[in-house]
Amino acid sequence: MLTSNRKTKEKVFFIGIGALTILIFIPLFHIIATVLIKGFPVIAERGTKFLTGTLSEGGIGPAIAGTFILTFLSALLGLPVAFLVGVYAYEYPKSTLGQWTKTLLQIMIEFPTILVGVFVMQVVAVPMGTYSALAGALALAIILTPYVAVYTHEALREIPSTYREAGFSLGLTRAKVVFRILAPMAKRGILTGVLIGMAKVAGETAPLLFTAGGLYESYPSSITKPVGAVPLLIYQLVQSPNPVDHATAWGASLVLLAIFLGIFIPIRLSLKEVRL
Amino acid sequence: MRKVESFKVATYPAVIIVFLLFAGMLFVYFTNALPALHRYGLDLYLENVWRAAEEPSEEVYGIAAAIWGSIYTSIIAILIALPLSVAYSVFVVDYAPKRLKNAFIILSDIMAGLPTIIYGIWGAFFLVPFLRDWIMKPLYDHLSFIPLFSYPPVGGYSYLSAGVLLAIMVTPFASAIIREAYNMVPFTYKEAIYSLGATRYEATKVLLGYIKPAIVSGTILAFGRAVGETVAVSLVIGNTFNLTTALFAPGYTVSSLIANQFGNAFIYEYMTSTLFAAGLILFVIGLAVNVVGLKMLKRWERDVNI
Repeated sequence: MLTSNRKTKEKVFFIGIGALTILIFIPLFHIIATVLIKGFPVIAERGTKFLTGTLSEGGIGPAIAGTFILTFLSALLGLPVAFLVGVYAYEYPKSTLGQWTKTLLQIMIEFPTILVGVFVMQVVAVPMGTYSALAGALALAIILTPYVAVYTHEALREIPSTYREAGFSLGLTRAKVVFRILAPMAKRGILTGVLIGMAKVAGETAPLLFTAGGLYESYPSSITKPVGAVPLLIYQLVQSPNPVDHATAWGASLVLLAIFLGIFIPIRLSLKEVRL
Repeated sequence: MRKVESFKVATYPAVIIVFLLFAGMLFVYFTNALPALHRYGLDLYLENVWRAAEEPSEEVYGIAAAIWGSIYTSIIAILIALPLSVAYSVFVVDYAPKRLKNAFIILSDIMAGLPTIIYGIWGAFFLVPFLRDWIMKPLYDHLSFIPLFSYPPVGGYSYLSAGVLLAIMVTPFASAIIREAYNMVPFTYKEAIYSLGATRYEATKVLLGYIKPAIVSGTILAFGRAVGETVAVSLVIGNTFNLTTALFAPGYTVSSLIANQFGNAFIYEYMTSTLFAAGLILFVIGLAVNVVGLKMLKRWERDVNI
């Protein structure tokens, strides 16, 4: 009697947690399905015009261009710093500054992104007197840096320490061991971090609100002028009362989803574990 | 004289830049918040008023409703996310066959990384009407004598909608931490429990007790995420200054307040400063929550590895 009671409990428990696990993913499937169902007809109806035209022509071309410019610029600004900081945290795991650096990076990953945007607005956009691609990219770079640094750090840590020792035993300096031997070996892990960081910032909205400004009627011409971005455009269109704007927003969401999944899934499949 | 190591020459400037950026942020928020803090004192954080006026002497701001909204929606979110993430972790680690396990982990990572604006548009056009018609209206019709359900759900934009959307967004994040911790339980412990003749359910109960510190820190970090989320929340919360526990009432959060008001705040003398003060409190809450969560997680990981 007692045993069968325990067995029943076990079954109920198994079904319970199985059901809850599936429940977690229902929203994801519903979101992807909704974006496809609502976005695809919009893109199909407007054709290539949707991907290249300006907003008044029913397209999101300038926003797509803006997203690529912002992502690329932020990588240009953030990657060198991120790589060096990651290397530093790896080399001095026991020193005070090394530990502080690691903690700071983890805190920055979790930090509310809108605060980064407002900060950059105050120190860049306000003195410049205008929103700009540069300000937007700077905000994104601050968000990108901790991601890439943490990935660099983790990638380096996975290399067996014998390689380090071998390098030092040849009389190489610390810089040579790290940059010439370890970094090339950890290339794949670091590159993964770079791509994940870029996928992340390509989808950011909040830090662009008061830095990039938005530009949807013409293609961006200068990095000191305002620029649009797909997520920012979606945010603005959702708040509009006009159903045509909503349709454009769904189409833009499908484009954003495609960009995100296009970067994310190949990396994720070639990798064991990702910690976002 | 000792030769300066070239490694340090290369890496120090980058490390200094990162530290300066962080200190710079704190400094910018603090100095810009000062005028409002001077003028309104602590009332800025304790009162619920929002009176913008061309005439500076008539401007009065108090952001208590937004602070309450940030905390309230995040609590709703983790109350929903916690049981889901624990169930997911146990299922994926102990029960799911290997192939399904990988699929679940990948799906969870996709959910954690999905651009938040996509959650936002789905939330605004699907989740809000769905919750309004299927959850809020029935509850209001039958149980409106309970204070939680006493607010008529007209538009559906509410604390509840924001809380549910945040729960969906932070569940994969809390799951990743809890799953990893559950995975790290030393194998000998499991062997010991099973050798006593425990069923898997009984073993799970014991093991969950063992990883409790990791569950707590996962919850704290998820709360930190939820507090800082901006665009998705601002699209579903209704952006109204309400200071209430009524779940169906529209509200505000600190981040949605900043997102909505900063654009034209410069017209008013004290609004910009007030918003910086709002940012400062978000800064402090975010920092405190994350530091505590990360510290606990680190301590737990160290204890397990011994």
